[in-house]
Amino acid sequence: MNDKNRRFDRSHILAVIAIGFAFLIRSGLATAEEAPADPASAISTTSTAFNEQIQPLFQKYCVRCHNADNMKSGVRVDQLTATPEDRQLFLLKAIQKKVDDGVMPPAEELQFTTDQRRTLNDWISSTITAARARDTKKNGSVRRLTVSQYRNTLKSLLGLQEDLSESLPPDGISKEGFTNQSHTMILSPLQVESYFNIAEKALDLCIVDEDKKPVIQNFRMDLGTAINPEPCPDKLVLGANNFLLNNPDVLVTELKPNKPFAYEPFFMRKEYDFIEGYVGNDTIRAWKKFNSIYHSVFACMRGSPGYPKGQAFQVVPEGLLLRPAIPSPEIFGQSDTYGPMANFKISLRELPEEGNFRVTVRAARYDDSLLLDTESPAQLSGDTVSVPVAELTSTPHGTVFIKEAGIYQLDVVSSPESPKDLFSLTLGDRQFAGQLRKLTPYPSQTNDEEKSKEMVSAFALVRLPAGELKISARHGDNSKLSRLIFNRVDTSHELAQRFSVFERRSPSLGVYLGLRRDCGSTLTQVGQPKRVTSSELEEYVFEGAINDFPNPDVEKDNVNYLAGIREIGVRSEYTDGRDMPRLRIQSVEFEGPYYESWPPATHQNIFNASVIDAEPAVEARAILRSFATRAFRRPVSDTELEAIFSVWQKSYASNGNHRQSIKDALLVVLNAPQFLFLIENSHTPEPEDLDPDELASKLSYFLWNTTPDQRLLELASKNELIRSLDTETERLIGDPRFEQFIDEFASQWLSLDKLDVVSVDSKRFPRLTRDAKTQLRQEPVQFLRYLIEQNLPLRNLVQSDFIVANEVVANYYNLGNQTENGFRFAPIKHGQENLGGVLTNAGILAGLSDGRESNPIKRGAWVARKIIAEPPDDPPPNVPRIKEDDGTQLTFREKLEQHRNQQGCAKCHGGIDPWGFPFESFDAGGLLKTGANIDPHSILPDGTEVKDLNGLKTYLANDRIDQVAFSFMKHLACYAIGRSLTYNEFMFLQEQGKNLRSNDYRMHDMIKFVIKSDLFIKK
Amino acid sequence: MGSSVRLDRRAVLKGLAGVTLSLPLLEAMGKEVTETPPRRFCAMYTANGMSLPKTTNGIDEWSWFPKTEGRGFEFGKSTEPLSPFREKLSFMGGLYHPNGTKADPHLCSDMWLTGAPLHNPKPGMFNSVALDQVVAMHTKQYCRQPSLVLSIDAGVGFLSRTGTISYNQEGKPIPAENNPRRVFDRLFRGDRASLATQREQLQRRIKLVDAVLDNAKSLNKQLGQSDREKMDQYMTSLDEIESRLTASEKWIDIPIKSQDYSQLNLDANSEGEPHEYYRNMFDLIALAFDADITRSVAFMLNREDGMGVSDTFPIKLGLNRTHHSLSHAEDKEGQLAFAKYDLFLSEQIAYFLGRLQQFQDINGSVLDNSIVMYGSGASTTHNPTNLPTLIAGGANMGLKHGTHWRKPNTPMSNLYLSILRSMKIEEPSFSDSTGVLQDSVFTQV
Repeated sequence: MNDKNRRFDRSHILAVIAIGFAFLIRSGLATAEEAPADPASAISTTSTAFNEQIQPLFQKYCVRCHNADNMKSGVRVDQLTATPEDRQLFLLKAIQKKVDDGVMPPAEELQFTTDQRRTLNDWISSTITAARARDTKKNGSVRRLTVSQYRNTLKSLLGLQEDLSESLPPDGISKEGFTNQSHTMILSPLQVESYFNIAEKALDLCIVDEDKKPVIQNFRMDLGTAINPEPCPDKLVLGANNFLLNNPDVLVTELKPNKPFAYEPFFMRKEYDFIEGYVGNDTIRAWKKFNSIYHSVFACMRGSPGYPKGQAFQVVPEGLLLRPAIPSPEIFGQSDTYGPMANFKISLRELPEEGNFRVTVRAARYDDSLLLDTESPAQLSGDTVSVPVAELTSTPHGTVFIKEAGIYQLDVVSSPESPKDLFSLTLGDRQFAGQLRKLTPYPSQTNDEEKSKEMVSAFALVRLPAGELKISARHGDNSKLSRLIFNRVDTSHELAQRFSVFERRSPSLGVYLGLRRDCGSTLTQVGQPKRVTSSELEEYVFEGAINDFPNPDVEKDNVNYLAGIREIGVRSEYTDGRDMPRLRIQSVEFEGPYYESWPPATHQNIFNASVIDAEPAVEARAILRSFATRAFRRPVSDTELEAIFSVWQKSYASNGNHRQSIKDALLVVLNAPQFLFLIENSHTPEPEDLDPDELASKLSYFLWNTTPDQRLLELASKNELIRSLDTETERLIGDPRFEQFIDEFASQWLSLDKLDVVSVDSKRFPRLTRDAKTQLRQEPVQFLRYLIEQNLPLRNLVQSDFIVANEVVANYYNLGNQTENGFRFAPIKHGQENLGGVLTNAGILAGLSDGRESNPIKRGAWVARKIIAEPPDDPPPNVPRIKEDDGTQLTFREKLEQHRNQQGCAKCHGGIDPWGFPFESFDAGGLLKTGANIDPHSILPDGTEVKDLNGLKTYLANDRIDQVAFSFMKHLACYAIGRSLTYNEFMFLQEQGKNLRSNDYRMHDMIKFVIKSDLFIKK
Repeated sequence: MGSSVRLDRRAVLKGLAGVTLSLPLLEAMGKEVTETPPRRFCAMYTANGMSLPKTTNGIDEWSWFPKTEGRGFEFGKSTEPLSPFREKLSFMGGLYHPNGTKADPHLCSDMWLTGAPLHNPKPGMFNSVALDQVVAMHTKQYCRQPSLVLSIDAGVGFLSRTGTISYNQEGKPIPAENNPRRVFDRLFRGDRASLATQREQLQRRIKLVDAVLDNAKSLNKQLGQSDREKMDQYMTSLDEIESRLTASEKWIDIPIKSQDYSQLNLDANSEGEPHEYYRNMFDLIALAFDADITRSVAFMLNREDGMGVSDTFPIKLGLNRTHHSLSHAEDKEGQLAFAKYDLFLSEQIAYFLGRLQQFQDINGSVLDNSIVMYGSGASTTHNPTNLPTLIAGGANMGLKHGTHWRKPNTPMSNLYLSILRSMKIEEPSFSDSTGVLQDSVFTQV
C-alpha cells in the first residue's frame, strides 16, 4: 500500500481501530465461562502452539528489525514467549494494533497473509486474557522519599522552619512526569552523604545548650518626615544610584525585646574601617574610619526612579508611602537591574547567622487620592470651590471650606508654560503628588488676555469631609500656578464610581530578604503578602528561617564598604497596574533569632517533659523510643530501639556528653532506611493487605506529600484505618497539607515545569514577564485544587464556564476588571468563548511552545499523553527538527504537514498533530492569535472533525469523557503508588473506572476509587 | 561478603595508627594513587580583560590574541614570554558565556568558572558550582585536599564584585587564601592539634556510618520478599562513603613527600612586589601538585572593577594608571600600558608553566599531567564575548597543543566539559554546555 492509498484508506483503518478496540474490551471482560464461545480461544496459548504457529510469524516478519541488536523504536519481539510477563502485555497489545492497522510490517516489507494476521490477532487476544487470569506476583516495595517529601517530613518531625534539602540532588522524572516513581529514584553516595550532612545540621539547629543564653538581635527603623532629632551628619553613599532616604527621615533604634527567659541582646557594630567602596563605585583605596549606626543600617530606595503615575514613594510625617512595586525585567542594558519600583529596603551589615527571624511592619492603607489621567475636567458647575494661588501658597498653610462631604475632583489651573515638576498638595494631614497631564485650555471667565491663555489639568479625585480644611500646594516655584478647583462629583457619575472602587481597594504588603548586589535583585519573599485593609496602623508579622534566604557569605573582616550588605525589602505588591491606595509604612522591626521560649520548641520536642529523667540512660531510651516512633511512622521495634540505644551508649561511654550522644543516636535514626524509605514489607509472593501503618503512610504521602499525623497513626494502631478510608480521604483533602499534594501532582501531571524553562521572546510577548509566568504557572494548580475542593465533575477540567484566577492572571486574559482579590485565586465566570478548562491555560500553552511560535506537536503530544492517556511513541532517533526559519513562507502547520508526508513520520504524527491543530488559534503566549492564516481545524484520530479548540473541548467533555477520566485516574494512581501500572491495573482502571460516570466523574469519587482499589491497598 | 574484609582492614588500620611508614602507607591508598598518574586542573583568572588595541592606535602587535589562527600563529608582544612553551599551550578564541552577555558585565568574574545565569538567578541560589569544584569532587579521594582556592585578596569579596572564582556545589563562594605563609602552613605543615580534631571528626562519622549500616542490614534481613534494589543501592552508597572516610583518615598518617622548599619566600605578600608575590604563589601551587596534596586549584590573579589591592599593581610596575582605569583606556598610550601589564602577567604564567615542567610524575612532567587554564571573563573590559583563554599542559590527557584555535560563539561551558572529559570525569554536562569542543586541542573527549 503506498502512502497515497493509505491516506485514502483512512476511514477504513479507523473502522478497524474501532473494531479492534471494542474487541479488546470485550475480550478483556470475558469471564472463564464465556471463553470457549470466544473465537479467540481457537488458538491455544500453550508453548507448543506458540513455538509452532506464532514464533515463526514473528521470526519471518518482525525480528529482523526488532531484535536485541537492532531494537527499532526500542521494541524487541524476539523475547516474547507463550507466557509473557506483565510488562510485555502492553507490547502485545501494541503489536496487535499495529498489525491490525496495517502499520506493521512497514509497507516496503513482506506482509502477513490475511490468515496469518488473524492467527496472530487471535493468539494475542487469548494470551492477554490468559495472562490476566494469572495472579501477578506482588513483592512489596521500597521507595525512598522524594526531595520534597524528605523536606516536608524533616520539617514536621523536627518542627524546624528551615529548608535543609537544597543540597540533595534533584529527583529523576519518570515517563509519566512524576518524581516519586521507584524506578527513577536512584540513590548515590552523594545523596547519602547529603542525608548525613543535612541530619547533622538539622540536629545542631534543633538541640541547644540550654544553659547558654541566646543572643538576640532586635531593632526598629521608624520612617517619617524629620522624625530623627539627631540625624547622621555624614552624607551617606551606598554604591551607584543609591537613592537613600534623607537622614532626618530615618530613625534606627536598637531594642531589648520582652522575653520570658534570660538572653543577651545583640548590638550591631558601628565602628568600621574600610579601604574602598564608600564613595560608590569609584576606585579609592584609602583607609577611612566610620562610627555611626547609620553606616551600618540604611533606608534605601535604589531601583525606584521613574514611576509612571505619581511618585514611587513619598515620605510624609506619618511614614513612608509606597506605590505598588512595578516588576523590572532586570536585564542589563534594557531595564533597571536594581529591582522593582517602588523598592524600599533596609540595607544593613549584620543579621543573625542562623535561626528563625520575625519582621514586624507597622502599616496602614493610606487615605489616598486617585490621580487622574483623564482628558478634561468632569464638570465646572455645581459645588465648585476655586482656591487662588495666594491661598495655596500662604504659610504655613491656607484654608479651603468644603460645604458638603463627598468625592471631589481637583483641577489645577496654571499658565500655558507650566513646568514639568510634580504638583504636590497637602490637604489636611494628607499629602498627594503627581504629574499634571493632559493640559487643556481653561474656559476663560475674564477678558484678561493673560488669564484667557490658562490651561487646566484634571489632577485627582479625593474624598473630603465637610468643613474647613488646611491646604497648601507646590508646583515648581509656584510662579506658573494659578488656582486649584474643587468640583464635587455626583455619586452617580462614572468618576465617582471609579473612585469608590479605588478607595475600597487594599494594598498587599510583602516582605523580602536578600542581599545587595549590582545586577538583578536577590530579594526573596518571606511568606505570603498580607492585605492591608485598615487605614489605622496595624502590625503585620512575617516569619522565616534566615538561612532560607540569600546569605552574602562574606567574611567578617571584609574591607569594602559595600561588601556583604543584606537587605530587608518591604513592598506594596503589584498585580496588574490598577490604581491602588498607597501603603503607609511607619516602622519596620526585626528580631532574630526569634524564640518563643528557651530552650526552643525544637529542643523541647526531643527533650520533652514526658521523657526527662535523672538517669541519662533511662532518659535516652525514652527520647529515642519517642523520636524513632515518629521518624519511622510506626512503633519502633525492640530490636531497632536497642540498636539505636547502643549508639547512645557507646557515644556516652566515650565522651560522657548526654546531649551529644543523643545527637549521635538521632543522626542514625535520621539516616535509617526506616525513615528515608517508604517500605511495604511483603512476606509472600501473593498479594497481601498493607499493614495498617504502611497504609497510613501511603495515604498521607499521597494526599499530603508528608508524614502521617497522629490521627492516621492512631487509626492504624487500632486497625481502623482501612474501614475509615472514605472519611479520612475527605479529612486529608480538607487539610492545609493537601496543598502539598496539589502543587506536586498538578505540576508533574500537567508538565507545568515546561513554563519555567521556556525562554520567552519578550518583544513578541511583553506581557509574559517573569512575574506573570509565576502566577500563570499557578493557575492550573489552583484550578485543579478548586475542582477537588468543590468536588466538581471532571468535565470542568476540559470545559468550564469559569476560570480560577487572581488579579495577575485575570488581567493576562483581559479580565482584570472582574476581580478585586489581589493575589488570591478565586473562580471568575469568564463569559468568553476561548476560556475555561486547563487546555486554554496560558501557562500551559506558553510552556508548550518555544517562546516564539505556537507548536501543534508539543501541544498535541501533551493532550495525547496527559489528557486522554494515549501517549504517542517516542520519536525515533535522528529525526530532523522542523526548522522555523527555513526561508519559505509556509506556516509551521504547513511545514508540519509536509514533514508528516515523509515516509515514517506519518505513523506517529497521526496520533499527535490532530490533537495539536485545534490549538493553532493560540499564540506562544497562550492567548488568541489575531490576523489571518490561522487554521485550527482538525480531523481527530477517530475521524471526528472539530473546527477549533472549542470543538475539541466539547468533544473531550462529551464523547471522550471516559478517556479523560481514565487519564486522570491513571496519573493519579501512578502518583499514589509511586510506580507505573501493571497491565492488569491499567485495564482495571479503564474498565471499572467507567462506573463513576453515573455520578459525573466527581473528583472525590475518583480519588477514593483509586485509594480503595487493590492497586493501592494491596502489596 | 565484603563486610568482613572491610572490618578486618579497619582493624589493621587502627593497629597502624601513629606509626609513620611512607611508601607502604601510600600503597594503602590503592592503585589509583600509587600507579595511575594524577590528572590535575588549575584555573587562573585575570580581571578586566586583555589588551586588544584598536587598529587606529597602530599597535596591533600588542594584541593578546595572536593575529593569525591555526598552528602557524605568532606570539604577540604581550604574550612573547610564553613562546618557549609553544608546543605545550594553545590560544582559544571565540569562547563566551551565553549568560554573560545578558548580565551586568561586572559579574563576569563571578561567573567565569560557573557559567551561571546570574541575570536571572534561582531564588536562594546566586551562582552555581565552579569547574574547579567539579574536578575536586572527583579527585578528592586520591589526594589530601579536595582543592586549593587562592586569590589576590583573601575571602570572597562580594556578589557582583567577587574576590574568589570558586563556588561550591550549592553555588556559594569559597573563601580564597592569599597569604603564602598561611597557605604553606596549612598544606605542608598540618599542625598536630588540627590533625587530631580532624581525625576525631572522621572517626565519629565512621562510627555513625557503621551504626547506620548495621541497622540497615538487620532491616534488610526482615524485608522478606520486598524489592531489594533500593536497599542495595543504599548499602552500596554507605559502603562507598565509609571507604572515602577511611581514606581521608588514612591520609592523616601518611607523611608528605619531601621536597625542596628553599626557593620559597614566605614573607612575600600581596602588598609587596607583585612579581615576588605571584612567583611564590605559583611555587606553592607547583609544590602542592608535585606532592599530590591537591589536584584542583583556582587562583584569581586580580579583581574586577578596581576592587582590591591588585588594582594598584600597574602603578607599582611604572605603568602610571590603575588596572581598571587602564582597561578602559582608548588612547594609544593607555592601551599600550594595558598591554604591558598583560606582558607582565604573561611572564608570571610562563614562570608557572616552567615550574610545572620541572617537576616529574611517573610518566612525564607535572605539566603534562595538569590542564592549566588562564583567561579573563571579558575580551576587553565590559565585553563578555571572545573571552581570552589560554590552555596549557595536559599532554598525557590527550591535549594536542601549539595552535590558535578559534570558533566564534562557542560556549565556554563546552570548553569546561572538554576539560572534564579529558580528565576522565564523565559528567554528562557542565552548566549550560551544549557538548564538547569539536576539532580542538582536546583529542580525548
